[in-house]
Amino acid sequence: MTTPHWLSAAEIAKAFAAKTLSPVELVTALLARIEALDPKLNAFIRLDAEGALLAAAQAEKELAAGRSRGPLHGIPVGIKDIIDVAGLPTTAHSKILVDNIAEADAPVIQKLRQAGAVIMGKLSTHEFAIGGPSFDLPFAPARNPWNRDHHPGGSSSGSGAGVAAGLFPLALGTDTGGSVRNPASACGIVGLKPTYGLVSRRGVFPLSFTLDHVGPLTRTVADNALLLDAIAGYDPADPGSAATTSRQFGRLLDRGVRDLRIGFIRHFHERDLPAHPEVAAALEDVARVLQAEGAQVRSVTLPTLPEFAGINRVILCSEAWSIHAPWLRERPGDYGKLARRRLLPGAFMTAGDYVGAQRRRAEVIAAVEDRLREYDVLLCASSMDPASRLDDPDETARTYPRQARTPFNVTGHPALAMMSGLSRSGLPLSVQFAGRYFDEATVLRVAAAYERATAWHKKKPPTG
Amino acid sequence: MDPVIAALARAAGLDKALAAFPDDVKAAAEQALNNAGVITVPTDPAAEPWPPMRPGTGL
Repeated sequence: MTTPHWLSAAEIAKAFAAKTLSPVELVTALLARIEALDPKLNAFIRLDAEGALLAAAQAEKELAAGRSRGPLHGIPVGIKDIIDVAGLPTTAHSKILVDNIAEADAPVIQKLRQAGAVIMGKLSTHEFAIGGPSFDLPFAPARNPWNRDHHPGGSSSGSGAGVAAGLFPLALGTDTGGSVRNPASACGIVGLKPTYGLVSRRGVFPLSFTLDHVGPLTRTVADNALLLDAIAGYDPADPGSAATTSRQFGRLLDRGVRDLRIGFIRHFHERDLPAHPEVAAALEDVARVLQAEGAQVRSVTLPTLPEFAGINRVILCSEAWSIHAPWLRERPGDYGKLARRRLLPGAFMTAGDYVGAQRRRAEVIAAVEDRLREYDVLLCASSMDPASRLDDPDETARTYPRQARTPFNVTGHPALAMMSGLSRSGLPLSVQFAGRYFDEATVLRVAAAYERATAWHKKKPPTG
Repeated sequence: MDPVIAALARAAGLDKALAAFPDDVKAAAEQALNNAGVITVPTDPAAEPWPPMRPGTGL
């Protein structure tokens, strides 16, 4: 059998059913791997070994009694440290909240526990999901398993690094300007930002009310669908939650892409923010692969990336200022420099800036909706460059905004990033697929077809 | 420090940040001001912001 740490959730469930692996054996093996590797990766802020072993023992007892809670029964999951897990700190990787213990599970954690999942602990993030990678915070930044000198992406840094390194098969992250899809891109895994409102944000420390999403990070597309099935659902106490019963997101995974219409937004990486040549070449390869699988791929245009980014920035900064203003006024020195610099602009934005951005937002949403009437899925870049070095803040500052993820935070459409190759320097390259509201199943269908055709997901970082 | 930026910062209650981190305050103000012109705000006076007001839902 494959070593337990590289098994997908689907493979783990089969191993449990065949009694070749038990939840306690799996968690014990992962804890040993975490002990060996995490001091070099910093994926965890708080490992909950005791809680994980207790949950695994409970899962094992239930399986022995013939009671399975479903496909996530006994499966380990890591949680970004802005999501509340009862009894554990939610620090948001910040001195501001370093003593903040969550009183209750966020609804997404409640759903994971009901599904039998094992919570492994809390994972590194950029400070408050915006300020990083930083070395002036209470916890070290996560590192990229493909090359520890490089950034693992963010802000869900520990989620990306931990899944890619085989510390756990599944993780939750959050995405306000691309923070699930960026670590997925940098670490060579699968990250999905669901439709706005599909997954409850209650119990998640907010960054920007109308842009925040919770999403799954996994090593395979099928696992991504399984994790989304577990966490999706209407939450009447989340004002942004959608009253939808969408489920079974993996129901189309085996259907292939024959006759699907795919719109390729080339201008994002050719004109708006010209991509690194290896990224651009890999994107053309993606289009060729999907055409060879039977899809119709045509170039399409949308508003420019700088405009999407501008809308995202004004809305994010304005909404984040309304959240952070009291601390920025009284405790500015308790933020790291990057978070302080990225949160303070909201103090200088006007009501006119904010309302103007929200009015333009309605128009760019309409533009994406128009394209999605003609096309089933949109294909575009995720990151324009391979991950930067962690010790090169200028290069990180240059490359971090060079991305095409913010459009789908602004519009709320589902968008998935996954590996599309390896650079000559051995770092993952990435592609992004976006789809219609609540049609995650078709986005995952295209991703699964690409995964089957290329098998990039079988490449593993040199962590052993 | 541009006196206008300093005045805006004080109006926002950022006296402590202004004293301890003047470069960060200046950079933040410049970033906010540089957004002007990036977004094509609708010229139609009736173009409403997103998300629209939805009375009776979620309240």
